[in-house]
Amino acid sequence: MTSVLGHLLSHDFDARYKAWKSCDPSQLFEASIDDFVEESKQPLAENIQAQARYCQILYIWTDCDREGENIGTEIRSVAVKRNPSLSQPGKTVRARFSNIERAHIINAAGNPIPLDEAQSNAVQSRIELDLRIGASFTRNLTLSVQPMLRQHFGNDDQGVISYGSCQFPTLGFVVERYLRVRNFVPETFWTIKIMHEKDRVKVNFRWARNHLFDRMVVVVLFERCLAAKTARVTKVQTKPTSKWKPLPLTTVELQKCGSMFLRLDSARVMQVAEGLYQKGWISYPRTETDQFDRDMDLRALVQKQTQGGDWAQFAQGLVDGGFSQPRSGRNNDKAHPPIHPVNFVNPTQLNQDEQRVHEFVVRRFLACCSEDARGSKTDISILFGGETFSTTGLTVLERNYLDVYKYDRWTSSQELPRFQEGEVFEPTEALMSEGQTSPPGYLTEPELIALMDANGIGTDATMAEHISKIKERQYVETRARARGAQQIGDDGAASDGETAVVAPAAGRGRGRGRARGRGGRGGGGAEGRGATNGMQEFIPTTLGVALVEGYENMGFEISLTKPFLRKEMELKMKAICEGRKTKAEVVHETIEQYRDVYVRTQQRLDTLRAAVRKYCFGENG
Amino acid sequence: MANGNAAEIGASISTFLTAKGVPPTKAWLHTFFSSVRLTTPVIALQQTALFQIRNADLQTSITRSASTLLPPGITDPATKEKHVRGPITVQVLDIEDIGRSRWSQVEALEAVDRGETTKGREVIRIVPEESGPDSTTLADAAKSSGPHKLLLQDASGAQAYAMEVLPLKGVGVQMSVGGKLVLRDFMVARGLILLEPRNVEVLGGKVEAWDKKWREEQKQRLKAKASIGEGG
Repeated sequence: MTSVLGHLLSHDFDARYKAWKSCDPSQLFEASIDDFVEESKQPLAENIQAQARYCQILYIWTDCDREGENIGTEIRSVAVKRNPSLSQPGKTVRARFSNIERAHIINAAGNPIPLDEAQSNAVQSRIELDLRIGASFTRNLTLSVQPMLRQHFGNDDQGVISYGSCQFPTLGFVVERYLRVRNFVPETFWTIKIMHEKDRVKVNFRWARNHLFDRMVVVVLFERCLAAKTARVTKVQTKPTSKWKPLPLTTVELQKCGSMFLRLDSARVMQVAEGLYQKGWISYPRTETDQFDRDMDLRALVQKQTQGGDWAQFAQGLVDGGFSQPRSGRNNDKAHPPIHPVNFVNPTQLNQDEQRVHEFVVRRFLACCSEDARGSKTDISILFGGETFSTTGLTVLERNYLDVYKYDRWTSSQELPRFQEGEVFEPTEALMSEGQTSPPGYLTEPELIALMDANGIGTDATMAEHISKIKERQYVETRARARGAQQIGDDGAASDGETAVVAPAAGRGRGRGRARGRGGRGGGGAEGRGATNGMQEFIPTTLGVALVEGYENMGFEISLTKPFLRKEMELKMKAICEGRKTKAEVVHETIEQYRDVYVRTQQRLDTLRAAVRKYCFGENG
Repeated sequence: MANGNAAEIGASISTFLTAKGVPPTKAWLHTFFSSVRLTTPVIALQQTALFQIRNADLQTSITRSASTLLPPGITDPATKEKHVRGPITVQVLDIEDIGRSRWSQVEALEAVDRGETTKGREVIRIVPEESGPDSTTLADAAKSSGPHKLLLQDASGAQAYAMEVLPLKGVGVQMSVGGKLVLRDFMVARGLILLEPRNVEVLGGKVEAWDKKWREEQKQRLKAKASIGEGG
């Protein structure tokens, strides 16, 4: 029994095409590609060949995902060189398994299946496409732009300007948000606030319309409220409510939380998690699955965590009867379970970063096995001058999972006085006030990961790499978000960080104020509101902006910085796996698509150069 | 013989349209008749007439009387409140979503221009969070629109602002400019007409030329309003 370290084979163009100036970059769309074992992996290949010599059967136990399938075929191809009989049907098989529990593994061992050629082909096509498209576009881009940069700045430091079909859309998100922030125009809005004091409690009622962007209209409505004098309670409703425990942990979620709560960027989080996995403390950290198999013995895993750590007592509570089956998300990559702790380890044995990640994984797991937090919510609505206002009170009755998952917050609001439906009162205070919209913040890493995930850019295994790459290529920089500045940005049209209101203006007074507080947000609780300070945000460099703007200006059919081309590629790969398309078809179609883009890019290079001049050199027009 | 028929048909169409709130002028009827075949069944003619008058400028198509025009002085801001019985027929010259900032509306239009709303090219920018049964996501907030403020004009050309106090079906930025509304039994507060479903009948229609121009200038208009920074 032996192992490999990721992909065994490497791929590159035939020697004739290796040098950058050896050919026109567009020839790389057709140039022949060699598969070979690179030097560092030679010992692995030799080992496999040595072992294969006297074997009858080759049994593959790589991860049951697409890459694993492809690696399986690579191993086979290497083994077959020494022992051709292994290429016959039934001589190379693979085990299908998704966790490392004893019973499961034994069952898998007894039920081998053939390697899935379709999945392997999907990966092959991706590798080929990434190589051809990446290389041709990178060469073209660098050769077009590098000289002008070197000349302008008078040095040879400017490195390769790379193109990657995932990198560019990732950069695209960063630049887009940056431009949104820069182009933002703040606007004034007006609102009506009602406050009523009852039983010595000051209750604030919020306008159902939230706020409006037309002063005249708000003045008219406000006057009608004042004319009405009294308000009537139209709804008093108390009902149970809950805050759901978190879903089982996936890689993407780990990366987001790592950024938000642990102050570790995605690359570092993954590095630490891999280390913890290799030492046997947590399960495989690259997974898309957010549901636990029904037959996994989760109680035993919880039991292990009763041995120590700050959570020992909580874990004991679960064992003693508090255990609840985790929620199931919608994703299952069928290869790995959600990330969870597999053994107990004394935190003192881990270094600081490992402690933080490990603690997070344990707390998350224990939270999954707890109950939802429960509370009681009271909603009260009043009608005042034809306008509706409401208020909400929350009483947290059982914290449950919140006791172990310190990363979520849910607290009781002040207790509301008793109101009755139909009750009429004269509000203590009715004010009209104004505020201003403010721009969203620059993209933070969790937001970027969420965007990449939602738009199909990169897989859980590669997202951190793409982010690292755009930093490495100096397309973006990170900086700590300033304290008190606009927090987690608001995506989407309507939500532009409409912030807290300032100077109340009674009646129709003027009182213009500027509010630059933290924007209010719905959903998700105020998790780590204090923790957002010090989070990293992405700022594109002038080169990054120039590239995105340059390509954007070339026309939207090109859209290299938009996610859809990559998303299409991912869909086509799925089609190969499902047998609906062949590798040859997909490679051919995609190459043609990109060749078309390449040609247009060539024709419009001046647009790109103009953008570089504008942003990198500061020239106008 | 033909004349007699025309007169009868004319009368029946006139009655029909008047009942709908759009009493035609003689001149308009005359133009209408020159564009249709009198042998067409009356019911079909009535519908065609309604369709055409809905798409016409009120100032040149309906009669002016106390029952079709806005009462004088209703836009006077000094008048705290005034009740109008109507019915009054008006056309929509402008529609604004005052519940969302102009800038966010501009951004939404630009996303459409960039092709992000065409099928297959959507870019998801709002990532929903879920934390419990009561959480509202940003996606919900972004989609809701309104209330809307309208600029209305009657058959004499007089204009007045109106606002949706309660949501009106068929009213929104998708609505066509030049569309007709019949207002009945409504309040005017400080010159602002207050609209609710119970006092508005949306007749629909569109004045093609106005609508086209309005849409072309929409982004510019929104940008200008955003820069001024005042709510007006």
